[in-house]
Amino acid sequence: MPLLLAPALLPIVVLFLGGFAFGVAQSLGYQPYLGSRPVSLAAYRALAGDPAVRAAVGLTFRIALVSTLVSAVLAVVSALLIRRTGRGRRLVTLLFQVNLPVPHLVGAVSMLLLLGQSGLLARLGHAVGLVRAPADFPALTADRFGVAIVAEYVWKEVPFIGVVVLAALTGAVAEIEDAARSLGAGPWQQFRHVTLPLITPAVLSTSVIVFAFTFGSYEVPVLLGRPFPATLPVVAYQSYVDVDLAARPQAMAIAVVITVLVGLLVLVYLRLSERWLGRGLGGRR
Amino acid sequence: MSAVRRLLCLVGLPLLLVGLLTPFLPLLLWSVAGGYRFPALLPAQTTGRGLRLLTDPQTKVLTGLENSTVIAVSVAVVAGLIGLSAGRALGMHRFRGRRLVQFLLLAPIIVPGLAVTLGIQVFFIRYGLAGTRLGVVLVHLVPTIPYVTLVMSSVYANFDPAYEEQARVLGAGPVQVQVRVTLPAVLPGLAVAALFAFLISWSEYILTLLVGGGSVQTLPLLLFAYVGSADVNAAAVLGLALVLPPMLLLGLTAVLLSGRPGPAGERALAGLGRV
Amino acid sequence: MTRARRPLAAAALALAPVLVLAGCGGGSSSTKTDATARLDPANWASVQKAARGQTVNWYMYGGEEPLNSFVNGYVAGRLKKRGVTLNQVKINDTVEAVNKVLGEKQAGKKNGSVDMIWINGENFATGVQAKLWYCGYPAKLPNSKYIDYSDPALANDFGLPVRGCETPWQRTTSVLVYNPAKLGAGDVTSVASLFAWAKRHPGRFTYPAPPDFTGSMAVRTFFYDAAGGPQQFLGGFDRRRYTAPAAKLWDRLNALEPSLWRRGTTYPAGQPDVTKLFNNGEIDAYLTYDSTAVQSGIDQGTLPKGTRSAVFTAGNIGNYSYTAIPADAAHKAAAMLLANELISPAAQLVNAGGQGAGFTPVLVTSRLDAADQARFRSLPQPPSQVPLDVLAMHTLPEVSSAYVTALEKDWKANVLQK
Repeated sequence: MPLLLAPALLPIVVLFLGGFAFGVAQSLGYQPYLGSRPVSLAAYRALAGDPAVRAAVGLTFRIALVSTLVSAVLAVVSALLIRRTGRGRRLVTLLFQVNLPVPHLVGAVSMLLLLGQSGLLARLGHAVGLVRAPADFPALTADRFGVAIVAEYVWKEVPFIGVVVLAALTGAVAEIEDAARSLGAGPWQQFRHVTLPLITPAVLSTSVIVFAFTFGSYEVPVLLGRPFPATLPVVAYQSYVDVDLAARPQAMAIAVVITVLVGLLVLVYLRLSERWLGRGLGGRR
Repeated sequence: MSAVRRLLCLVGLPLLLVGLLTPFLPLLLWSVAGGYRFPALLPAQTTGRGLRLLTDPQTKVLTGLENSTVIAVSVAVVAGLIGLSAGRALGMHRFRGRRLVQFLLLAPIIVPGLAVTLGIQVFFIRYGLAGTRLGVVLVHLVPTIPYVTLVMSSVYANFDPAYEEQARVLGAGPVQVQVRVTLPAVLPGLAVAALFAFLISWSEYILTLLVGGGSVQTLPLLLFAYVGSADVNAAAVLGLALVLPPMLLLGLTAVLLSGRPGPAGERALAGLGRV
Repeated sequence: MTRARRPLAAAALALAPVLVLAGCGGGSSSTKTDATARLDPANWASVQKAARGQTVNWYMYGGEEPLNSFVNGYVAGRLKKRGVTLNQVKINDTVEAVNKVLGEKQAGKKNGSVDMIWINGENFATGVQAKLWYCGYPAKLPNSKYIDYSDPALANDFGLPVRGCETPWQRTTSVLVYNPAKLGAGDVTSVASLFAWAKRHPGRFTYPAPPDFTGSMAVRTFFYDAAGGPQQFLGGFDRRRYTAPAAKLWDRLNALEPSLWRRGTTYPAGQPDVTKLFNNGEIDAYLTYDSTAVQSGIDQGTLPKGTRSAVFTAGNIGNYSYTAIPADAAHKAAAMLLANELISPAAQLVNAGGQGAGFTPVLVTSRLDAADQARFRSLPQPPSQVPLDVLAMHTLPEVSSAYVTALEKDWKANVLQK
């Protein structure tokens, strides 16, 4: 038993837990190979007073929340639409998954070229006479709300959530829905009492993954966002590579804050899902 | 069905497909565009410069391709095997501390890799792993282990141990049981798990930057550098190059799993839904 | 074997060759490092011998494609003839390379992965503070006879004495690149006239956010203008002299914001973004360090035809940039060969001629032989670029990097985050 788990647990304990532990240590002032330094919470105090960090927390939450909600809703709608397709369903399913293997970095580049003020959409606007100069096109990249950032996340995550939802809607579901319909249930009632409960676990679990990912993503906001306010991972990395080594504990502190925020969320989620849904990972019903 | 619903169904699907496919357009256009300024809708001239950049030894794109491939394949193999054993433990056994193990193995899906790798980078340097492909493979295990574990535990959860028992009863040795009974049953799921691991490793940027930093150039790092320069043509070409191998691989796997997720493949995906 | 051990055994069996495969190759493939015997730069023949077969890992800003072509083409070719392989490692910011050397030193790594860095200013100063550099060799390089090391302009890097810890490579004077159809001759003579033009044509000018290297230079340019010149800031950092002009500067820049691109609500993340904006016609002017790369940009298509550049009457900031070798570098001999090659008349000519990035040579032309002097005199002077002698006469010095850091920090607090 332990031997089965050893190959998985070893990298996780050493690299993941170890990384977190050393991050905490370094945020408290411990700087390896540089001799002993005073241990203090100075880095965290500095964070609380740093406008870049304060702004980053709000922005990161906002972007993650909006991206997750929009993706989840669109994914469910898409899955239902696809299920309803008769002929050509295989083609549609295939096209639905076409951007699954696309790295987020490439998605960010696409969005830059598509949504930029001199990008493809703006040029389309010019062709139909709505846009005269790039400045007339709305600022979607490097903007206050992170529109292009959210757009990239939604573009990538709708198929991700959608595919898992589709997998949850196996053939048996159609039979149950038919049964419900024959008992006089309307389309909305079918959805609420048959479909929705069946897809809820899938939507919930993928949503948590999406939220956590969008919260911690670096390459998308650094390419599509603005220097201030930036998201937490961007601020963390910038502090980390700051030549002023005094910024290093602060970078670690931000990393710890990110971990704690997201970790709390998943703990809450696991507790709630156990209470509501009564199931764990894998396992038999 | 009401008229509104019918309209939604009619318009919804094409809209969805347009939304999914449109972002590929700028990559295709800019990859062959020479002198492509606002407000031109189509490139005024086409150029093969971006394409030549791919094979030019000066640009190190081929080195990046080699590094990306070796690393991603290694990660897929190692993570797949890890998932095979961990998935079996979690899917087929009940034991004390199961919750804790689940939590530990899932945590990297949730906790951003950047956050923990910042803390460990100095040790990678110390023990000579920084700037090596081995170091990059190791750090890529962190985000991939949770996914392979999820998929494989779901696969094993739906695998009836009675098959193994029957085989043993019929006189098969332990090796034969694994190889001839269990492995074929879990193979589709294993393929999906390994594919996930490959995709995650192939696309990884920030972890490779932190551990490989400069010495190990993978395609995402090269792409990021080109995006940061004024050369949009090169960035678009490299973006397409980054996308093509995973797409081919995904297509290949789909074909090998007989064109659509069968029961095993579906259960693998559903494994993601059973957190 | 028991069932439990099976997957583990399989894992171990598969792991071994995979890890071997992953471990070998990749990374900085070096065939040999410097011998433990100390290198004597004065004995050039011994340095050349030690360098043969080595690979030099040169970490440099990689956002300039013409410069990359020069490095990986011409320079790499010249080094190959001496048995040295050049491995250019492109980075987005020089601070990354300094951080790497620092990190490796802290972690106790003996043979560093960084052999040479293209560097100046704050980054060099950080290295001096942390004792990162290998020193004492530049004056002993064979091609150093063409350089005047006593010239204060290159003996001091952003006000910090170089003391033989880095070799000069390029000289540059910043310029204003602009669209002559949108800006007249009178608009490009000074910071004041530029700001006035920007206010009449809002949204058509911007600068990258510090700590981007060029953005930092832009803020310094405006600072010199607000303070009436850099004279009082030469020498060490003096907060009393700094505070009043800095406050004036933040007021001016905040007043300018509504006239900037995106109404000053944000700034481009880096200089390449500014270039892209200009190329797409979203802005009409920008400041750049690359005074002699304008024509190659036009040729390559990253700048529109007809682009022009200008220096202010009061002058523009200029500086020298250098190549530095970390003290822990694994291939110092090869790195010294590279540093020497970069200051050879041939290499400086090729680049100045616009085939590469086109930078201003650091060599003292009167020390060259007649043939090379003639070649330098007949370098092409495209109309898009400011002539080299005009540039030389309008160069303002850089100030101590402590001012640079202070300006970057205060800009962030007073302008960006407001």
